Amino acid sequence: MAENVFSWLDERLGLKAIYDTILDRKVPKVNWWFTLGSASLFLGIMQGITGMLLSVYYVPTPDHAYDSITFIMTGVQFGWLIRGIHHWGASLLILTAFIHMLRVFFYGAYKYPREFTWITGVGLLISALGMGFTGYLLPWNQRSYWATTVGSEIAGTVPWVGDFILRTLRGGTNLSALTLSRFFSLHIWIFPAIILATVGTHLYLVIRLGISHIPDKDS
Amino acid sequence: MNEEQKQKYKQKYDQAKQNGVKFWPDIIYKDLLVSFAFFILLIGLAAFVGVAIEPKADPSDSTYVPRPEWYFLFLFEFLKFVPGKIEWMGTFVLPVIGVLVLFALPFLDRNPLRHWKNRLTGVSIMGVVVLGMVGLTIRSVITTPKNEEGFVANTPAGKMILGGELYGIYCVECHGPDGEGGVIAGVEGMEGVELKPISSRDEMYTRSDETLGAIIEYGQQDLGMPPFGLAYGGELKKSELDAMVFFMRYTWDDRAELPADAASAGAIPNLAENEIPSYEVHISKIIQRYCISCHRPGKENNNYLMGTYQEILTTGDNAANNLLAGDMTSYLIQAINGESIFDESGEEIIQQMPPTKLMKEEYISIFENWVLNGMPETAADAEVLTVEVTAEE
Ligand code: HEC
Ligand code: HEC
Ligand code: HEM
Repeated sequence: MAENVFSWLDERLGLKAIYDTILDRKVPKVNWWFTLGSASLFLGIMQGITGMLLSVYYVPTPDHAYDSITFIMTGVQFGWLIRGIHHWGASLLILTAFIHMLRVFFYGAYKYPREFTWITGVGLLISALGMGFTGYLLPWNQRSYWATTVGSEIAGTVPWVGDFILRTLRGGTNLSALTLSRFFSLHIWIFPAIILATVGTHLYLVIRLGISHIPDKDS
Repeated sequence: MNEEQKQKYKQKYDQAKQNGVKFWPDIIYKDLLVSFAFFILLIGLAAFVGVAIEPKADPSDSTYVPRPEWYFLFLFEFLKFVPGKIEWMGTFVLPVIGVLVLFALPFLDRNPLRHWKNRLTGVSIMGVVVLGMVGLTIRSVITTPKNEEGFVANTPAGKMILGGELYGIYCVECHGPDGEGGVIAGVEGMEGVELKPISSRDEMYTRSDETLGAIIEYGQQDLGMPPFGLAYGGELKKSELDAMVFFMRYTWDDRAELPADAASAGAIPNLAENEIPSYEVHISKIIQRYCISCHRPGKENNNYLMGTYQEILTTGDNAANNLLAGDMTSYLIQAINGESIFDESGEEIIQQMPPTKLMKEEYISIFENWVLNGMPETAADAEVLTVEVTAEE
């Protein structure tokens, strides 16, 4: 029975081909540092899942954002766990991706033929930082309000166009409901879309080129 | 890299693959193991460390020390070393160069060798940069002053307690313990002014939370109600105003219902039969609601402060007579029973307390009971007395 189902599906989806190209391939012997990319991926997926759950109750307006978070923490079953994971996962993801980058650097794995993998990686790191920056404002508490005030002020110091960037980020001269809705839309639509596309490319390249081997002394 | 080097690399790589392992299951199992460890770590952090509770955003409270997420701290700290005039170098030019270099690294570093021993320059530059970032982060954590960790009320019970306390301190002197208003007595500058009740149905049904918040924040200065919000020269933060409005709404509005545990939070506890009242459990709560508003520093009150147990016993122009253990002629007892105190020349030195309206009979007798039993401070002190009394019987 199970066999029949599988072959029916395989005939249409090409499962065997996927298995052959992705799972059943030879790769060099590597060490534990090479697990950090997939750990970043795992953390990213966790962020996606917990983020979606949070968005069920979260309300992105200055009047209700704070109270909706309080409600998630105290009124929703396991809300504290979901928010806790999303909160700590964000920090852990950045840390893990950064160390993953350091290991890639250390082994020279950004060199031929993996230059483009590296470039997409840098894009991912920056998008992750963007997620962190925009997500930090969403709880609309003192910490987020003042951190974002200062953070966007920094953007305002850019010569000539600084004022324009500042106003675009904030949606006006001050932090307001507009700032919150802009950050919210960046955090749940724009950055995730960019990240999804970039992670897709990144993983495609990793599979296509194969994971690098640990360089020996005379290479 | 030229073609020859590319070819050489490919050969080496194929060799490594030949001697390698299968992606499934050898690599995947390691990946899953590490991811699972991260999962446990996350749950542990969420369950045992949790997320710090912060007060709601308050644009008027600019004393708050801004603190970006930890992974931006190094940049923040770095900017402190950049002189103001060329700030944009630090905020814009250097970070952009940094990011561009990172993007372009595979093209800037043309060295075909990969082992770190053959790339000492690059590896040391990266090492210095990373160490610098770590150092700056640590420095930032150490040098940024901590924000005052005020009590953040974000549960209904917490808001009731905080709101009730603040109402007791800031509002009772004019509006009375139950928002009943009336003719003010015993408040400098407001003597004889008549206030409408603020706890009435009229008031509660026609004033939204936003309106009440705005009234407290800005005051009604033409009518004599002072502003309390930080933005207008008062001392209360947004989160405190919110708690106060919450308290007023749930205490006075007959449409608002609070879960039972939150409703009783902060309420003045009843005295059980045979229980001897203590400062800790009963008296301090009554004072918070009925007396502290006038009996705090900076108010007209014969220098009688009622903030702590010590103060109640030792301050006041008539400290020697205010509270005498077991003595029902103590000035405080007389005053809360509606009797004025006169000096030798027959001049009134203390009016009834509270001046506008006496407390409920129940609270007056708690005070009396407390003085009769020698004014115990803690619940434990009172307990000992209770046992003695029952033993004598
Ligand atoms: C110095 C005396 C004073 C203090 C202290 C004071 N108020 Fe008032 N308050 C007034 C006066 C005067 C008015 C004007 C209304 C009136 O005449 O009845 C008023 C009006 C109000 C109103 C009704 C406004 C309206 O139009 O509905 C509210 C609500 C109120 N105060 C709340 C508070 C709260 C809460 C506090 C404590 C933070 C407080 N007040 C402290 C004097 C005071
Ligand atoms: C509306 C403001 C107000 C409130 C509320 C108030 N007092 Fe007073 N209290 C005063 C003033 C003003 C004096 C100074 C004497 C006078 O003017 O009668 C005073 C004086 C006293 C004194 C005499 C202190 C001394 O050493 O001369 C006692 C005792 C006292 N109050 C007890 C209380 C108690 C107990 C409560 C709470 C149940 C209370 N008061 C609430 C305004 C207030
Ligand atoms: C959200 C962030 C990221 C995810 C999910 C991710 C995912 C992965 C995965 C699963 C691998 C397979 C090998 C391994 O696990 O080590 C990989 C390899 C690689 N990553 Fe990333 N990565 C991320 C960020 C980055 C960053 C920031 C860089 C560098 C700037 C980078 C550069 C590379 C390169 C060059 C490889 C190939 C390494 C090799 O073949 O040895 N990645 N990545």
